[in-house]
Amino acid sequence: MADPSVKVLLADGQSLFREAMRVVLEAQDDLSVVAEAADGMHALSEARVNEPDVALIDLQLPNSDGLRTTASLADTQPSCRTLVLSDVEDEELLVLALEAGASGFISKSSPMHELLSATRRVHSGETVVPPHMLGGLLGRLIARRRERDQAMRLLARLTSREREVLALLARGADNVGIAQALVISPETARTHVQNVLHKLDLHSRLEAAAFVMQSDLLDELEEARV
Amino acid sequence: MTISVDERRPLRNPNVLLRQEGDRGMAIDPDAESVHVMNATAVAIWVLCDGRTMPSEMVTAICDLSKLPWDVVEEDVRRILGQLEEANLITWRDPT
Repeated sequence: MADPSVKVLLADGQSLFREAMRVVLEAQDDLSVVAEAADGMHALSEARVNEPDVALIDLQLPNSDGLRTTASLADTQPSCRTLVLSDVEDEELLVLALEAGASGFISKSSPMHELLSATRRVHSGETVVPPHMLGGLLGRLIARRRERDQAMRLLARLTSREREVLALLARGADNVGIAQALVISPETARTHVQNVLHKLDLHSRLEAAAFVMQSDLLDELEEARV
Repeated sequence: MTISVDERRPLRNPNVLLRQEGDRGMAIDPDAESVHVMNATAVAIWVLCDGRTMPSEMVTAICDLSKLPWDVVEEDVRRILGQLEEANLITWRDPT
């Protein structure tokens, strides 16, 4: 019969911390450490081989930091849920970790029983956030959504052709590149660019690219092209 | 013109002090000489009561984070805001 315990991957650059964690995790009936890694690249290769249910990833991991490792794990091992361990309780890091695909975020200074509980909760499908950081996190999510909604309202001013031009601008295309991509003349491309800048109240191509990237609209614009 | 309830924004009572410990918070109201113990969700919602954020925005953000259904979260947020109002920890502002 297969072992029903939750398979855990432990990735932390500090061997002492890793070993302490392993001892505590292995003492639990429902948890088993199937792999350890001292850096990000090693963590990804161990995850491929051992297919853990939960990965405990240190944010300050050497060779592909914790955020990049978390994002790669989310891409390559979607069934593995990640709990990020951080030395500092920082709201921006928390948002970045969740955006990278983490299911939870916990301070490395948390009591061990909280880490065990967080591991189980993440495995059961919950999103785990330190309670005192929840209000700040929700505030940031609301602010981001407002910015995006505002950007979407501005985008609604553009024609479908101008949206295509904006997507190409965000990709760094010049007038010639836009003209080639859309099979129009460079003069027409230039006119479209001017119209886009005017309608969005922007002053340069760089601002246009920044507007798209900061509002996370590139996918939106490119999906509309398909 | 009538204002929809959903457009009103809750505002924290500025005199109330918050102390957080673990997954609980204590809202201390010196004027009323009262203390209210809140769970983590209630604390988070109270923190969001800045007079600008609509309850529907709170619901959306919690849904995004928790992946829970809208109607479940909306009911929780409405209930918690009602309790906070009853405890004099928030008031309501109309949109300006």
